[in-house]
Amino acid sequence: MGAIRGAMVRLRALLHRRATDHDLDDEIRFHIELETEKNVRLGFTPEEARRRALVSFGGVQRTREAHRDVRGARWVGEAFGDARYALRTLRKTPALAVAAILTLALGIGANTAIFSAVNAVILRPLPFTDPGRLVMLWEENPDKGWHEGVVAPANALDWREQVHAFEDLTMYNGSNGRVTLTGVGAGEPVVAVDTRVTGNFFSVLGVRAQLGRVLRDEETWGGDQRVVVLSDHLWRERFGADSGIVGRTIQVEGADFQVVGVAPPSFAFPDESVDLWLPTRWSMEDRNQVWFRRAHWPRAVARLRPGVSLDRANAELQTVVRRLQQQYPETNTRMGAGMTPLHEFLVGDTRLPLLVLLSAVSLLLLIACANVGNLLLVQAAGREREAALRLALGAGRGRLVRQALAESLVLSALGGAAGLALGWWGTRILAALQPAGMLPVRDVSVSWNVLGYVLLITTASGLLFGIAPALWSGRRAPVEVLNEGGRSGSEGRRMRRWGDTLVVAEVALALLLTVGAGLLARSFAELRNVDPGFDASGTLTASISLPGIRYDTEEKMTSFFDRLLERARALPGVRDAALVSQLPLTGTEWTSDFAIAGRGADGSGTEVLHRELAPGYFQTMHVPLLSGRDFTTDDRADTPPVIVINDVLAKRFFRGQDPIGQKLAFDKVPDSSSVWRTIVGVVGSEHQVEMAAEPRIEIFSPVTQDPRSAMTVVLRTDSDPASLGPSLRRLVKEMDPTLAIGSMKTMIAVRAESLARQRFLTTLLTVFAAIGVALALIGVYGVMAQLARRRSREMGIRIALGASAPRIERMVVGHALRLVAIAVVVGTGVALVTTRALGALLYHVAPVDPITFVVVPLLLGLTAAVATWVPARQAGRSDPAVVLRGE
Amino acid sequence: MTATPSDVLRGTLDLLILKTLTLEPMHGWGISQRIQQFSRGAFDVNQGSLYPALQRLEQKGWIESAWRTTENNRRAKYYSLTGAGKRAVGQETASWRRYVSSVELILEVK
Repeated sequence: MGAIRGAMVRLRALLHRRATDHDLDDEIRFHIELETEKNVRLGFTPEEARRRALVSFGGVQRTREAHRDVRGARWVGEAFGDARYALRTLRKTPALAVAAILTLALGIGANTAIFSAVNAVILRPLPFTDPGRLVMLWEENPDKGWHEGVVAPANALDWREQVHAFEDLTMYNGSNGRVTLTGVGAGEPVVAVDTRVTGNFFSVLGVRAQLGRVLRDEETWGGDQRVVVLSDHLWRERFGADSGIVGRTIQVEGADFQVVGVAPPSFAFPDESVDLWLPTRWSMEDRNQVWFRRAHWPRAVARLRPGVSLDRANAELQTVVRRLQQQYPETNTRMGAGMTPLHEFLVGDTRLPLLVLLSAVSLLLLIACANVGNLLLVQAAGREREAALRLALGAGRGRLVRQALAESLVLSALGGAAGLALGWWGTRILAALQPAGMLPVRDVSVSWNVLGYVLLITTASGLLFGIAPALWSGRRAPVEVLNEGGRSGSEGRRMRRWGDTLVVAEVALALLLTVGAGLLARSFAELRNVDPGFDASGTLTASISLPGIRYDTEEKMTSFFDRLLERARALPGVRDAALVSQLPLTGTEWTSDFAIAGRGADGSGTEVLHRELAPGYFQTMHVPLLSGRDFTTDDRADTPPVIVINDVLAKRFFRGQDPIGQKLAFDKVPDSSSVWRTIVGVVGSEHQVEMAAEPRIEIFSPVTQDPRSAMTVVLRTDSDPASLGPSLRRLVKEMDPTLAIGSMKTMIAVRAESLARQRFLTTLLTVFAAIGVALALIGVYGVMAQLARRRSREMGIRIALGASAPRIERMVVGHALRLVAIAVVVGTGVALVTTRALGALLYHVAPVDPITFVVVPLLLGLTAAVATWVPARQAGRSDPAVVLRGE
Repeated sequence: MTATPSDVLRGTLDLLILKTLTLEPMHGWGISQRIQQFSRGAFDVNQGSLYPALQRLEQKGWIESAWRTTENNRRAKYYSLTGAGKRAVGQETASWRRYVSSVELILEVK
């Protein structure tokens, strides 16, 4: 109690310095008045009485000072004084101040930007009610190679009912769809991103509508009204934030939907791109269908009951999973399930890149600190005489140290402020450059957490680079310094050792940073050199989706796409045109069970990718036809079903056989209802999902026999593919003015996007490494030049005493090279241990990649050697006459 | 009076102030007068060190202060003991006694 009250008194006295001083004055005045009165009573004249009172008080000013001392007010006053003095000193050496502040701003700015991203993605809780209770549920199947995968709705619905640890469970589509909106004001049809969710989606997440209401559970289960919830940004951009939107009807894929609500601005789930949420429409009968348990597409999120642990919930889930495996062997054999806290699941593979970047900018800041520390040290050494003089005149050593520290803290504060500005700008750049979906764009901003972090690293850097010069300034005995009689004597050993340490540290840190960047750059080069199995150059792609309400039969869809293809081929400049249900490298995959005629059921349940094509796709994409034929216009709905397979499938399942003429069905266990499809061709394999994944087994069917409402047009031209855009748009508009093109990209852009994450990370890391190396080299050069200059007197004497200049040069250069060698060994050693953390980010490059580990140290060592060599040589060239006379 | 009043020994001033304040809340001048009075003039409180000492005790949470009106209708800052202060008087007195008796023992050595 007493201690707390005391602390309050202390704090009040510090915060209200004036008032406290004033209080004391009143108190003293009162005291002296009483003392005077007492003296008058004792018989003195009033003047004498007052004089005696003052004398016995013993110095008002001294009392005041003593009082302030007790309060710690002197300390505060001095701190202000130190800061003012530091600013004055910095103004006297503006070049040094600017260099130091810029260096720090660079380091702190990079940290601010990256930490903002880390904060937004990893540290900040999800913007849902009580997000800690939300878990992502997933299914896995070792036979099918599924890991933390999407779920079968029937399974998830059983979990919802049978796992008592779940308060509720919602599902949403694992991949977003694209729908065409019409009736949006008077405007053109709009392609919007939609997510199908179960009606309890918003209530499970605990999110309320900002306008109207959210979806309801019964809207999934046989409600007859079609309803939709809009995202805040769609509402603002397309409906002018009209508050009368609730209750209005818009057309989604040509069908009427009633807008029931608008989601809050902070709500962007499953991701930023979602424009609208539509309820899935399932019936109770669906639950009993086999496909509802076999097909896997939604994601499932559950909310745990309050107080239920993850372990307990998981144990309950496993019981249900085992029961379902026994109950439904046909679909659930070897089908496991599990759960991950939702936040952890969503952060997923973004965590590692962000932490790598954060480590990189931390190294950068360390290098920056070393540089600034060196600048200050040089300055402190230059002011040695001033410090000595002040010591001799009675200044406390502690006081000098504090003053030097104040200087570095003022510097770091200025650097921190500049860095914060730079970092704020950096977060904009990050948000703009980031690959789609990596960071929650709207939330990457400088928040209180970030400010706290910046304050922390700013103070820490100030202390880090300030401590050596500060100790330096209070260290040397004044007699020694002043006795040197205006000449700086042979360089202090301590100073030299400190300089050596800085050189080694900077080069080693830069090396570590560069090795990391080098590994990622090598990995990225490997990825770019992967042959995707098709020729991306000269092709333009555009996705088109036909609204089901008007294209309600397979004939209508087929006839539209037939005509589109025909007319697209006739466009000027188009050499080839094709249609495909799914472009390669776009990250989504459709897979199916399959069986080969005449063989027993494949017990392992391997899944095969499948896509639907119009004839000409392989020719358009330059995918080689290895044997057999492509589809033709003669493969129609009423002709025998045919398929083309890729050579990975051919090699794995038809080793030593001719696959042409063999038959396949899309069933795990074929029965009398199975449709057998004849293999008519084998083609080269594309990297279907991403560049980093090897080609997988795949089957193509003609779109005429397997119609799809959404297809992507691919055009090949000999000129610039982007130039075909306008004529393709015109063509689609001519054929059906209500259609909108979803996304139009060159295949080159598609491929680049598939590598966007790797490119982003590699670019940033390379930039940081480049800055780090530049700073380190500047620092090393600075240290060496300074040491050389300060040793020039020593060199001059040595030369005067008969040492040959080349020998001196060898000595100095040799010393410098030894330092660089030590740094290279230390840096490489640390890198060998730490780059293991990068493993998961590297493609076809080992974390201890020999090329990187030879090239980087070699190059960096050479550069650093040059940076130390130049100043060292100058020392060796010292002319004794000039040097000795010079001071 | 056999000798000129000596300054209060450094370190004992705090104890003397606390002890004085056990009687009643007092202002600074009052405290200095009381100490002089109790010591029958032997101690003369250096008034310059009185106020810093009061501030120190207040920061320790042993005393608190408030501006009040004196009987002569003047404003003065009155100091009073806090609960922690009352406990401290006992402890400080005991430790002072121990100290004095130890010194005594040494001085007795022949």
